[in-house]
Amino acid sequence: MTQTPYDGTCGIRELLGFTITDDRITRGPAHEYSVRVDEQEYVQAAENLALHDFALAALFACEEFSGRGRYSIFSVFERKQDILILVRDVDGHAVSIAGLFPSACWYERECRDGFGITFDGAFDTRRLLLHECYPDGYHPLKKEVPNRSPEIAGDWGPEREYPFRVVNGEGVYQVPVGPVHAGIIEPGHFRFSVIGETIFNLEVRMFYKHRGIEKLAEGRLPADCLPVAEAVSGDESVANATAFCMAVEQASQIAVPGRAWYLRTILLELERIVSHLSDQAGMLVDVAFPLGANQFSVLREEIVRTSARLTGSRFMRGRIRIGGVSEDISSDTLSGLVVFLTEFRKRYRVGLKIVLSTPSVIDRFATTGIVRKSLLRPLNITGPVARASGGNSDVRVNRPYGIYDQYTPRIQPLSDGDVLARFTVKASEIMDSLDLIERLVADIPGGETCSSDAVRDGHALAVIESPRGQNLCWVRIRDGRIDRYKVRTASFCNWLAIEHAVQGNILADFPVINKSMNLSYAGTDL
Amino acid sequence: MVNALTCLIRKKVTGDSPVTDEEVEAIGRELRCSIDKVFGHSLAIRELDTGSDNATEIEINALNNPFYDVERFGISFVASPRHADVLLVTGAVTHNMALAARKTYEAMPAPRFVIAVGDDACTGGIYAGTYAVLGGADKLFPVDLKIPGNPPSPKEILAGLLALMKRAEADRNRRFF
Repeated sequence: MTQTPYDGTCGIRELLGFTITDDRITRGPAHEYSVRVDEQEYVQAAENLALHDFALAALFACEEFSGRGRYSIFSVFERKQDILILVRDVDGHAVSIAGLFPSACWYERECRDGFGITFDGAFDTRRLLLHECYPDGYHPLKKEVPNRSPEIAGDWGPEREYPFRVVNGEGVYQVPVGPVHAGIIEPGHFRFSVIGETIFNLEVRMFYKHRGIEKLAEGRLPADCLPVAEAVSGDESVANATAFCMAVEQASQIAVPGRAWYLRTILLELERIVSHLSDQAGMLVDVAFPLGANQFSVLREEIVRTSARLTGSRFMRGRIRIGGVSEDISSDTLSGLVVFLTEFRKRYRVGLKIVLSTPSVIDRFATTGIVRKSLLRPLNITGPVARASGGNSDVRVNRPYGIYDQYTPRIQPLSDGDVLARFTVKASEIMDSLDLIERLVADIPGGETCSSDAVRDGHALAVIESPRGQNLCWVRIRDGRIDRYKVRTASFCNWLAIEHAVQGNILADFPVINKSMNLSYAGTDL
Repeated sequence: MVNALTCLIRKKVTGDSPVTDEEVEAIGRELRCSIDKVFGHSLAIRELDTGSDNATEIEINALNNPFYDVERFGISFVASPRHADVLLVTGAVTHNMALAARKTYEAMPAPRFVIAVGDDACTGGIYAGTYAVLGGADKLFPVDLKIPGNPPSPKEILAGLLALMKRAEADRNRRFF
């Protein structure tokens, strides 16, 4: 059991700053506390939580949840191992906390687009998910709105154009980039305000890939929802599928067999290695060092082929399922994996040495794209980006799930916060994941690989450490079907960090800064 | 003047690639011949993501890694649709991307070919008929070839490109005779 410093319900009252009756506090299956509050209490509580160093990890709405208002808005606050969820029941108006928690801005805009909830006092009321082509007053996540295309505008006048922040001044000019970029990458729009070569301001506009993942899940049987969870972001397929399964398993009180957790963890760590390797190769391509990049991309392709041998899919899709894994992996295959990884480790070290002893690479990486530590909490930045800026957040350590309490990864944070620090943190995490996999294969127990327990109605929150950082998933099952599936990937939060990281850098360094933060467009746009 | 023979006899400056995949080599050789005949030695591809889950991009990107290294077969990925012969479309077409996608297609010079890569681009996949997407790439512009898969592997994408080249070759021959 996770020990909470606020020690049960009386500590919560102290944190919130007002008295509250016991019947409004509930304890969730993952030791998180939910507190039902009204609007006035909510603002007071948010102020107190901000003072107590809590970060806002997510804010989302669910329709017809409590019967006390049309919508229930969940605000998930987090501090290390503590999770506190404030639940408000509202009818169409809610108070904004974007002034207290800057990360609330995107969440509130998302709720407004999805459900039509107005946030009083919000400083940014532009649409987020829905671009110019969607009709006004259209809110797709409302239950009464059917899941089919509304009347879509093919073209529109300048009065409908998205208003970007305008930066004026002598010598300031705008560089619009995207949504279609020059390379083989996902679409998004970057509006740079530049003075000479130097970036003065960047505004990111996302959600070009908004494909309605959350609504797509609604009404499906939980087991049929796994392809949806895997489609959140291709390179995080295992992490998002696992998070979804964890939420369903917690809501239904399904116990996952030990062997299944070992197999899941092996796949999760393999996915982390592949993701970090792609990043490192990409960063080296962006500083024009193909010799180093190719070392890593060869290793990446080999590990992807190994994953395909292990699971039948290069993205390890279709293996994670509710209650465990769909198929066992034989011990011969697993020992083959260890043999491969031993050789892999040696060659990875060689590649790393070539890169880190090349002055032109270090010159481009060092002091480029600094993410300041002071931004981590206000924007809820997580993952390797946070760990390269002096943060030590890692869900596997703070709130271990599955078997991570027995296999604790080493967090090796760096404090520089630049591209070089992110490159180095990823290198040490690859080494650490290799160690973890070896230990897991050595210790894996026999037995069942999937529980046969049935799915039951309920709701639960799951938090997981994906390669990019903290992913959060909230699932509500009603009458055996998914009623609401909320995903918040690490990229959703980390995207805002790039707006700060590029300031004062030259425009030509943007690609490498972007790559070093490894942000998923698909995982953000949903 | 450089003697052409010395180029053949002289030892190569670069080493051999440590990785080879016979299947890829075979597809590549055929592709090389086809591209030489139809496109005058090079084929320029522009990739366009209209709403994928990024797995397909990753596989297309992999075509440039040393295992596949498709540039040696005459294929290059270009930064602008104005330089492209082929548009590789990935993902179902979202409403938010439809305008940009249409503009990208219109910017390509004729003759132009469109390949839909992955289930979502082929038919709309799991998103077909939902509120945020228009459907497969063929809802926006004519599609010459569909490569299904979730996502298709680099080898399958390469085989798809070969199929398109063969068809273009056949079309050209038909026009000549």
